[in-house]
Amino acid sequence: MLAFDRVSKVYDTFASGSRYALRDVTFATSMGRTIAIVGRSGSGKSTLLHLAAGIDVPTTGSVGLFGRPLERESETARTRLRRDAVGLVFQFFYLLPHLSLHDNVALPALIAGERGAAVDARIRQLLARVGLEDRARDPVQHLSGGEMQRVAIARALLRRPRLLLADEPTGNLDDANGRAVMDLLLALVAEEGTTLLYVTHSREFAALADETWEIHSGVLDTG
Amino acid sequence: MIRYLVRVVAANLRRAPSLYLLTIVGVALGVASVLTVQILNQSALAAFTGSVQAVSGEADLSVLGRTPTLPDSLYPAVLADPDVAGAWALSRTSVTLADRPDYFLDAVGVDFFAPIRIPFVTSRTGGPAVGATLANPAAVLATPGWTAVSPELATELDLAVGDTFTVTSGVRRARLKVGALVDFRRLTPLAGTRLIVLDLAQAQALLGEPGRIHQIDVRAVAGTELDALAGRLRETLGPGVDVLSPEQRTQRAEGLLAAFRLNLTALSLISVFVGLFLVYSATQASLVRRRAEFGLLRSLGATPRQVFAVIAVEVALLGALGVALGLPLGYWAARVNVEVVSATLTNLYLLDAIERLYVPRALFALAAAIGIGGAVAGALLPALDMSRRDTKTLLAAFTLHERLGSAALPLAGSGAALLAATGLWYVVGGHDWRGAGFVLAIALLAALPLGTPLLVQRLAALVRITDFGWRYSLRSLGVRLQTTAFAIAALGIAVSMLVGITLMIGSFRRTLEVWVNSSLRADVYITTPSWRGRSTEATLDSALAAALAALPGVRAVDRLRGFPGYTGERRIALAGVEMGIPYDDSHLPLLAGERTSALAAVHERGAVLISEPLARKTGLGLGDSLPLSVPTGERRFVVAGVYYDYSSEGGTVILSLPTLNAAFGAGPVNSIALYLAPGADAEATVDAIRARYPDTPLLLRSNRTLRAEVFTIFEQTFAITRMLQGMALLIAVTGITLTLLVLAHERLSELALYRALGAGTRQVFGIFVAEGIGMGALGLVLGGAGGMLLAAILILVINRAYFGWTIQVSVPLAALAWQAASLLAAAVAASLYPAFRASRTTAAELARDDV
Ligand SMILES: Nc1ncnc2c1ncn2[C@@H]1O[C@H](COP(=O)(O)OP(=O)(O)O)[C@@H](O)[C@H]1O
Ligand SMILES: [Mg+2]
Repeated sequence: MLAFDRVSKVYDTFASGSRYALRDVTFATSMGRTIAIVGRSGSGKSTLLHLAAGIDVPTTGSVGLFGRPLERESETARTRLRRDAVGLVFQFFYLLPHLSLHDNVALPALIAGERGAAVDARIRQLLARVGLEDRARDPVQHLSGGEMQRVAIARALLRRPRLLLADEPTGNLDDANGRAVMDLLLALVAEEGTTLLYVTHSREFAALADETWEIHSGVLDTG
Repeated sequence: MIRYLVRVVAANLRRAPSLYLLTIVGVALGVASVLTVQILNQSALAAFTGSVQAVSGEADLSVLGRTPTLPDSLYPAVLADPDVAGAWALSRTSVTLADRPDYFLDAVGVDFFAPIRIPFVTSRTGGPAVGATLANPAAVLATPGWTAVSPELATELDLAVGDTFTVTSGVRRARLKVGALVDFRRLTPLAGTRLIVLDLAQAQALLGEPGRIHQIDVRAVAGTELDALAGRLRETLGPGVDVLSPEQRTQRAEGLLAAFRLNLTALSLISVFVGLFLVYSATQASLVRRRAEFGLLRSLGATPRQVFAVIAVEVALLGALGVALGLPLGYWAARVNVEVVSATLTNLYLLDAIERLYVPRALFALAAAIGIGGAVAGALLPALDMSRRDTKTLLAAFTLHERLGSAALPLAGSGAALLAATGLWYVVGGHDWRGAGFVLAIALLAALPLGTPLLVQRLAALVRITDFGWRYSLRSLGVRLQTTAFAIAALGIAVSMLVGITLMIGSFRRTLEVWVNSSLRADVYITTPSWRGRSTEATLDSALAAALAALPGVRAVDRLRGFPGYTGERRIALAGVEMGIPYDDSHLPLLAGERTSALAAVHERGAVLISEPLARKTGLGLGDSLPLSVPTGERRFVVAGVYYDYSSEGGTVILSLPTLNAAFGAGPVNSIALYLAPGADAEATVDAIRARYPDTPLLLRSNRTLRAEVFTIFEQTFAITRMLQGMALLIAVTGITLTLLVLAHERLSELALYRALGAGTRQVFGIFVAEGIGMGALGLVLGGAGGMLLAAILILVINRAYFGWTIQVSVPLAALAWQAASLLAAAVAASLYPAFRASRTTAAELARDDV
């Protein structure tokens, strides 16, 4: 479902010339797998997730998502594909402070132009699942970090994406909260049958995945 | 430090030229509107001062009549005073060129034997030499029509010494001969070019009346106490004259112009106000983009004060650029508008036309100070905000405008308190003061922005988000209040002005229509071209008047004799009328008094009707007595009625023609109006008269033409108002663009998130355009409410106090709807560029904050 074929990503920087963020990366994942990616800061983990989400395109090589080579799709088509089939979770949560929990979770549906009872039921279900159903109408500003990330996970799963990409989802949380968020994330993708790729610095959290991959200076080692 | 600044400015100019340009344009527009108005104000005064100085520059005092003319027998009486070193009589007549009836000249008759210094210049064909007096006055007197003209006029009319030209005064035509070129600007740089000088006796004979003069200029013996001399002369010469110093004469003009100048100044201040908002948003825009840079400066150890200094100097630099652009723009706008303002002065205020712009250097300095000071003041708040924020917030991506959010309620509260306090003040006693209306208007325009954050916040909170469309946009507006509320408030103020002034002008126009319909009843109006210059000498001779009245098809005739007069210190217009047909019910609508008895009193008992502005300004009403200056002193007339009049704000008095003639001495009429028999065609009659009197300078207007002319004058009067209104609106709409640009930068992460969640570029574009429309709509709502209140203040308070007209409120729906539609269209246009910029945001922008 997600397959990289000899993917390289080169950034041309003004100061230090061109530089490989990813070099010759090849892998394929199958449905429902959970994969942890570890590596030092600057090794190319986020770049890999961006390519997978179609946010960016490779310099060389091919990124296949659900059988479609992303680098040949238009920006609009990639955006649609991401909207309909990919969920994203970020280190800094990126919740909109002026919206309620409910509206933050609803955002992907709003953007996709979906509404109605089914959407509302799904939001309620997810908020219940992450343990925040009684705070649906509260603004997100006063939530704790762990709660914010739970809301972000609910948002990412709202439209039942087949692929969920999480970039250091616990990077901004303490150990206990990080653990809780990890457990919740893994439980949810298992329930929904979603494929999960997540970046983490923690060996402990990496061990929770089906597989653990490592990146060194842009070179992927799928173990 | 300086080098850092220069580099920063250069770098930003390259990176975000649109923002910088908009800031500069904002300052430029604000500066330009102030400068335009001030130049016009100063020029209006200078036109008057110039003519005083050019004619009476050498005089310490001028003896002026309180009646149209003075007998020249007063002259020896003036000379007899031991403190008078010299005196000379003058006649002053407005004449028009025979072949250009709308080209007025100010003809001054002087006694060339009097000790006046006239700066004659050597002409191209060798006229008299420069000197204190003419080399050979006797020769001048021997030349019929000898006239000195300014070199500029000679050039404009293509005249050389020895050439002749024809002017008209009333129905008379006079052939004048260019005898010399005289440069009055050597006496005063303000002097107009349309001054012509001829011998007094010739002027009287050709243009005026033998034995009658308009003015005696006096030079006092050195060391004389001028006030005492003036008092003594007044005593000697009797109550029919004023003895004034040139300064006092200028002050009189200032007094006459006060309402006009105040009106313009108030409008230009509003432009500055709105301009400040623009500068504020522009500054904020350029600062927000560089939040990270300031965060970095701070983390490298720069103190808040240093950061503040960097910002202040940078903004002052932008302000200076704005000023550099605004000064020529303001000057240009003044040039473009000088003609309509000049027309207003002559039509409405009976003053000299502005011939040339008068621009004291100080005005440029003032405008520059307003521009740069305004820019810095506008930047103060955002700069302080920026320099005070801690390093961490500066570097963080998602910043909230929580502070203004929580301040919204207290702000609105203080706005309401301000309105309530001002209202109370007005009711309790403020209404007695003439300027009270302006206090009300200012309080309203100040309360409006104070209430804006709350309105925006509450309205936005009401919106339920059901899609990623306009509702979503509206909700977003309520979040970044500090940015959006400012733009909306600025727009609200501009729209208030627009709506308020549109309502006022619309109501006024409608009122005028009703009034014109009922008071312009005759079919053909006949006067002479120079009458429009309000010259007393612009008369129709009685034989001609009688002949016109006897034309076939003429059913009845109104006659009018009019000239300026005085009631106390107030200059007013006097009209002696003889009505040809009995007035029916709607004719001459009265505000106070019963028609039949009022007209009977005017015709049979020498009573008068006074115009509404005069009644309001003097406080006189039915049955009171009105003092008028007449040649023999002062006479009182019973007020039999107050009539609606919109032709002059100075006030007019209607007497019956016999009453006027008895009081001021008999004289020819200035204008007659013909009522035609049923079925007769007015335009045909006009043509017939023209054909019958081809050589008589007549100004013939059918009822239709005259009405059209009334409305042309009306539009002229408000042309400058509309221009300033437009400028304020332009500034406000630019504010929308700026605000959205600020939002596009401020919300970079938010927009990137939308893109990451799958929003297309078109969706982001749409969200931004919807925010622009939302701001436009909120500005409309605020401005609509504010505008209605403002219109009430303008019509009921300010107009009453300064002009004294009753204006029936009428709502020009079509005009308002058109304005609302154009404003929304402008809001859409203003948001296109920022929306485009916002839609270029990519999901990858999120990553930057991630690493
Ligand atoms: N937009 C970009 N422009 C230039 N270089 C980039 C950009 N994004 C990432 N890089 C560089 O690519 C490398 C990999 O970055 P990233 O994938 O974010 O690393 P990680 O997430 O593993 O910390 C780093 O050296 C980073 O500096
Ligand atoms: Mg990363």
